Amino acid sequence: MKQLTTVFAKWCSSIPILLFSPLLFAQEASEEASSLNLRRGATDISGQVYDLHMLMFFICVGIAVVVFGVMFASMYLHRKSRGAKPANFHENVKVEIAWTVIPFLILIFMAVPAANTLIAMEDTSEPDMTVLVTGSQWKWHYKYMDSDVEFYSLLATQREQIENKFQKTDNYLLEVDRPLVIPTGKKVRFLITSDDVIHSWWVPDFAVKKDANPGFINESWAKVNEPGIYRGQCAELCGKDHGYMPVVVIAKEPAEFEKWMGEQEEIVRKAKEEEQRLLSMNMSMDELMKEGERVYNATCAACHMPNGEGLPGVFPALKGSKMALEDQQGHIDIVLHGKSGTAMQAFGKMLSLKEIAAVVTYERNAWGNKTGDMVQAKDVNAVANGN
Amino acid sequence: MSKATEVISPDTSAPHSGQVNGGHLHDDHEHHDHIPKGITRWLFTTNHKDIGTLYLWFAFIMFLVGGAMAMVIRAELFQPGLQIVEPNFFNQMTTVHGLIMVFGAVMPAFTGLANWLIPMMIGAPDMALPRMNNWSFWILPGAFLILLSSLFMEGGGPAFGWTFYAPLSTTYSGDSTALFVFSIHIMGISSIMGAINVIVTIFNMRAPGMTWMKMPLFVWTWLITAFLLIAVMPVLAGAVTMVLTDKFFGTSFFDAAGGGDPVMFQHIFWFFGHPEVYIMILPAFGIISQIVPTFSRKQLFGCVYGVRHGVDCAALFCCMGSPYVHHGHAGVHGNVFHVCHHAYLGAYWCKSV
Repeated sequence: MKQLTTVFAKWCSSIPILLFSPLLFAQEASEEASSLNLRRGATDISGQVYDLHMLMFFICVGIAVVVFGVMFASMYLHRKSRGAKPANFHENVKVEIAWTVIPFLILIFMAVPAANTLIAMEDTSEPDMTVLVTGSQWKWHYKYMDSDVEFYSLLATQREQIENKFQKTDNYLLEVDRPLVIPTGKKVRFLITSDDVIHSWWVPDFAVKKDANPGFINESWAKVNEPGIYRGQCAELCGKDHGYMPVVVIAKEPAEFEKWMGEQEEIVRKAKEEEQRLLSMNMSMDELMKEGERVYNATCAACHMPNGEGLPGVFPALKGSKMALEDQQGHIDIVLHGKSGTAMQAFGKMLSLKEIAAVVTYERNAWGNKTGDMVQAKDVNAVANGN
Repeated sequence: MSKATEVISPDTSAPHSGQVNGGHLHDDHEHHDHIPKGITRWLFTTNHKDIGTLYLWFAFIMFLVGGAMAMVIRAELFQPGLQIVEPNFFNQMTTVHGLIMVFGAVMPAFTGLANWLIPMMIGAPDMALPRMNNWSFWILPGAFLILLSSLFMEGGGPAFGWTFYAPLSTTYSGDSTALFVFSIHIMGISSIMGAINVIVTIFNMRAPGMTWMKMPLFVWTWLITAFLLIAVMPVLAGAVTMVLTDKFFGTSFFDAAGGGDPVMFQHIFWFFGHPEVYIMILPAFGIISQIVPTFSRKQLFGCVYGVRHGVDCAALFCCMGSPYVHHGHAGVHGNVFHVCHHAYLGAYWCKSV
């Protein structure tokens, strides 16, 4: 209840701002990111979009003042109590032409700069670097086309915050475990696609909002002027956790970006070595279950639910399922390769062999699925290589 | 209910106007004004006012049902975090709320007003096809029963938004999609029959002297609406049928892996969806264009131009608006066109007032 009152108080206090917003925004213009108006953003394009928005906004205000002014003035001055007699004419070709032509001219006046900006937005030629952005239920995947670096970007907000058990932080539902990092002052081209349903990659500060269509690639680009953290969201309803797949982009100075890129490439190289080393190693049941639970809750629980019971009619249960109890090869295979025609994704490129081994072990031994099976990285590798 | 010819012809209208033949008048009463009692009065009625009333009550009930869903949505969103419902059920609420408000509240409400007003405004004794009128209403409750009952299925009702973009509504949807598709088909049939009735009535049953240009603007806007309905409801039926076969029969209309295209769904859907916006707003423009002149005691300014604009709207929305998916800004195209489009309509609205 206390929260409600604060929300209400905040809302009330914003009314005067709302009333005088045109004046305020005219003065602030580019200054601070307003919570009411469209933001100027961090790229030249987003600045142009903001300027267009303000231009059209003031044209609308002007038209409203004229139209409502005439309307209210005539209602007041020509009211019955003042003895006004209604005029009887009701057709006038000149007036008809005037109020068809004038709006048409205003539209042309707005359409010319808008079209220019639109063309500039679509011009993805000669980029300095390219990032492949792939949406899937419910996360983003980023791949740098000029290097080996690629990773998934998952929601980092704790489940407890969503369930109101912990206090919500400032970037509630707008934070991820691994943000996309791009250099400032460089034209970065985004190739946007999807693995399953239609998503939309939206970063308001870049004025980029582009649908991610499965089987097709859309293009967009951004040249970020200022280093910083820019946040966005998925903007096309994509299922149950549509609200839980935010976009976070960090823009770094080119030198810093190069340093970061070097570190990432090193991490990728080490991970590959580790993977090879693990093939000849066996993990204990405790290790597998512990790692498996972590991977399960981060990756699988969104659909199959933390208790393994799924959502009847939408996502199948793993608890007591035939596959999790009997068919071990099939179980590893479906986690690695997914199942076409369903929402089950291929996790082979998202999880390491060790993680898949752990999560399959976990699924075969948690929630009363007491098979006692232990799956090791080499078993997963065998299935991955088609043995 | 007397026939149209009786009103026009002085011979047959005589028994009504004068007390010339008492016996005949009495017979006439018994024969024509016999109203079945109880529920059968409403189930079997072919009277345009009764059916109009049914439509209006149905729309009001659906408005409350859809409104209750909106309340669930707003109550959940009142604070950040999960309070009342789970995300999956939340999506079902937004989807079914949208479908109910569009197909169950707004459209039947205007069909109800059309049933009540159009015959009276053009001097017709009833709608041209009264039995079809009865049928087009009475299949509606069944359609919404199917839609609402899908909420109680395992996995819940449709949860992909009222625009049901593929492949979220095909490969990734629950089994309730079949019920969703069937109920949309029935709603579409009902709308098309209602539209046919309006067109036939206006074309054939105007009283002598009720020329096209004398017709009230509400009748005009409904005539345009009816043509829009007949033009686009079959497109919607096509879209939901493709969704059905994609989901259950292995076709790939909207699946790139099988040579289809998910964006094609959006093109097809908005070929219906954009005119649908005007289907819902044109009768309202018509109502305003009746009420304002009445209470300001002035003839509508530029009535002829208003009609012309209405016809323009219909042509423009069908021929230009739809195929370009101007609602899919982020999807494929820009939004300059969209702005122009709505500004045009805004201008029409202003002047029709």
